[in-house]
Amino acid sequence: MVELHEIEMKEVDAPSGSNTANAPTTSKDEKKDANTLTLDDIKEQVRTIEKAVNSKEPRFILRVLRALATTRKRLNEDVVRRLVCFYYGSNTSEREILLGFIQPVSQSMDVDTGKTNTPVTTNEKQLVSRPQTSRARAVALPEVDLYIHLIVLLHLIDRNSLKSALDCAKRLVDKTSVLNRRTLDLLAAKCYFYYARIFELNNMLDTIRPFLHSRLRTATLRNDFEGTAVLINLLLRNYLHYNLYSQAQKLVLKSVFPDHASNNEWARYLYYLGRIRAMQLEYTKAHQNLLTAIRKAPQQTAVGFRQNAHKFLITVELLLGDIPDKATFKNPQLKRSLDPYYQLTLAVRAGDLSRFKEVLDAFSDRFQQEKTWSLIIRLRHNVIKAGIKMISLSYTKISFSDVAQKLQLDSPEDAEYIVAKAIRDGVIEASINHEQGYVQSRDIVDVYTTREPMNAFHQRIEFCLKVHNESVKAMRYPPKKYQEELETAQERREREQEELEYAKEMADDEDDF
Amino acid sequence: MATTTAIDAKLKEALPVYEKLKNEWGRKPPNVGKTDELLNALKNLFAEGGFYPSDSSEDTRGLHVARDTLEIAAQCAIQKGDIPAFERALAQLKPFYFDLENRIPESPYRYLLLGLNLLCLLSQNRLADFHTELELLSPKIIQTNPYIKHPVSLEQYLMEGSYNKVFLAKGNVPSPLFTFFMDILLNTIRDEIAHCMEKSYRQVSLNEAARILYLNNPEELAEIAKKHGWKLESDQSFRFADNQIKHENERVPADEIATQMIQYAREMEIII
Repeated sequence: MVELHEIEMKEVDAPSGSNTANAPTTSKDEKKDANTLTLDDIKEQVRTIEKAVNSKEPRFILRVLRALATTRKRLNEDVVRRLVCFYYGSNTSEREILLGFIQPVSQSMDVDTGKTNTPVTTNEKQLVSRPQTSRARAVALPEVDLYIHLIVLLHLIDRNSLKSALDCAKRLVDKTSVLNRRTLDLLAAKCYFYYARIFELNNMLDTIRPFLHSRLRTATLRNDFEGTAVLINLLLRNYLHYNLYSQAQKLVLKSVFPDHASNNEWARYLYYLGRIRAMQLEYTKAHQNLLTAIRKAPQQTAVGFRQNAHKFLITVELLLGDIPDKATFKNPQLKRSLDPYYQLTLAVRAGDLSRFKEVLDAFSDRFQQEKTWSLIIRLRHNVIKAGIKMISLSYTKISFSDVAQKLQLDSPEDAEYIVAKAIRDGVIEASINHEQGYVQSRDIVDVYTTREPMNAFHQRIEFCLKVHNESVKAMRYPPKKYQEELETAQERREREQEELEYAKEMADDEDDF
Repeated sequence: MATTTAIDAKLKEALPVYEKLKNEWGRKPPNVGKTDELLNALKNLFAEGGFYPSDSSEDTRGLHVARDTLEIAAQCAIQKGDIPAFERALAQLKPFYFDLENRIPESPYRYLLLGLNLLCLLSQNRLADFHTELELLSPKIIQTNPYIKHPVSLEQYLMEGSYNKVFLAKGNVPSPLFTFFMDILLNTIRDEIAHCMEKSYRQVSLNEAARILYLNNPEELAEIAKKHGWKLESDQSFRFADNQIKHENERVPADEIATQMIQYAREMEIII
């Protein structure tokens, strides 16, 4: 009751401009102020959305969505409830439904979940009977409706009330399917994302697959690039969650990821792509994909994403035979999560099979949970190769029984076959003398007389040029209106010329004196 | 979607054929031709009766019969040595094993057939498919189930290059059905070993070569030698010395370098 009085008083006071709203206790006052601030911010965002719809510029909606992360942190029940009451004043059924999703804080308002019409208190009636034209107009816009519904949904997720979140999400998504407006695209994409997230939290991911596919079809037909990107990513995440790599692969082959999608979606897409390729033994491509994914992800935030991407990147680098850079492990954000991978790297670099086995056993649960386990068990032969490399560098001639002992292999015969394969794969340069049972390293060929340095340089040059081209392409985005405000090159030259002349005049004037 | 009465009718027809099939297959050694006929008859009945998995069919007996028949079909294909038929049967079996896990009780042959599938992929060197299939199984199963452990360890030996272990593994297959694929695999491996030998040995005597390749009769050795172009020297040994030294340094491949330089020049032009 008290809260509603507060709202009413504020409404009355606002037109008159006086600030006489006095809460009974001071601590509640501060809390209310913070909530009021949040509420004001959200109202500002809603106004931005209206502006966006009226001017048909997606930029404003982008801005609002970007602020969603910070807004989400400041949400609490009070804010959400007030928001809903404020905007849905004239539309009681919708409001009841939304309020039904929020658990009541004060015991006086006893709203049940579901769609039953609970008896409205007198104060609420008073609120309802204040039809302010701006509010009515605000709710009429489906975008605003969607946005507020989304906020309610986020609130429910944050409070972990998964069942009600499920219902809320279903309603939200039904709303998006009804309309076909371009301005809705960005908001709808966010809605799909949270819809899938809730199902994932509820362990029901496989049920929504047909739904995601049908939406993907619609989105591609309508050239809705953000929606297509988000939906493809959600489907890939869905498949990888259940280890259905062949289906994920087919999806990647058949669909075209839109070029204009935001960087975040690109980062996610490349990450999933890297994982699929790594599983299918295409390590070089996987490495490139994961590297680009990390570069496209935001540098300061999104720590969880970068941690996971780094885990896969390190595993793929080990599988390629390279040792990952130690600096990656020292990064404070990544240090703790990458610790088992650091131990793994040490074991692989040393070529020590027993140590490798220890690390594997110690952290196997963790690796399984992070889905890198199947990739890591393939590392066993990498360990052996590293060991062979070190042996061939340090010994000119060594017998097979010694090799077997050093590498902890089962028998000298084993060692012989393994070394033969290593030579064939180009890991070491040596020759085997079968009769006397030893392997002899060849003389080291001077690398600079071969074309190796040139190939290495060529790779690096290609990479730098690619990065440069991509960044140039990414720079072409300011829309036309913005460009009109800037000077063109011509105008700038003219201006500089004028300035030069003026400066010369001044200099001449001074000379005259 | 067939109604329950239609399913019942088909089931009544199918059951006696199914019993006959089981009897035929149960006899040792099973009569492959007869089994084939019965299998084809059953498959037609299935297609008409809608025994294949669909969303809402409550009747699991049909599914049971279908699955068992497919399993027998797969095993029969191996006996005949017909790999495409085996792969087809397995493709049909996969939805039974993975999607319908909760609706029908687990088949005792499940891991046997999955292991056979893995081995089949391995023997054809389809490693990407091998790993994709492996992902569908949980790590616990991979580590404990003997049918699955066998192909997985084989793959590991192949990656490392310890081919002698592969040959040893032929001796302890978990089931006689595996030997068919093992033979194919061993032939592929022999090729691999021959390649390795070329690159790593300076010379090797005839007998030793035969031993390394695990060949028992000299004709096979001669065949392999001819395929790889090895020459037999006077002292009964093969020499591989010539492919050891690389002569790349002597020539500068003008084409490649020119193309690369022109590419760089073009990119620079774009920047400036």
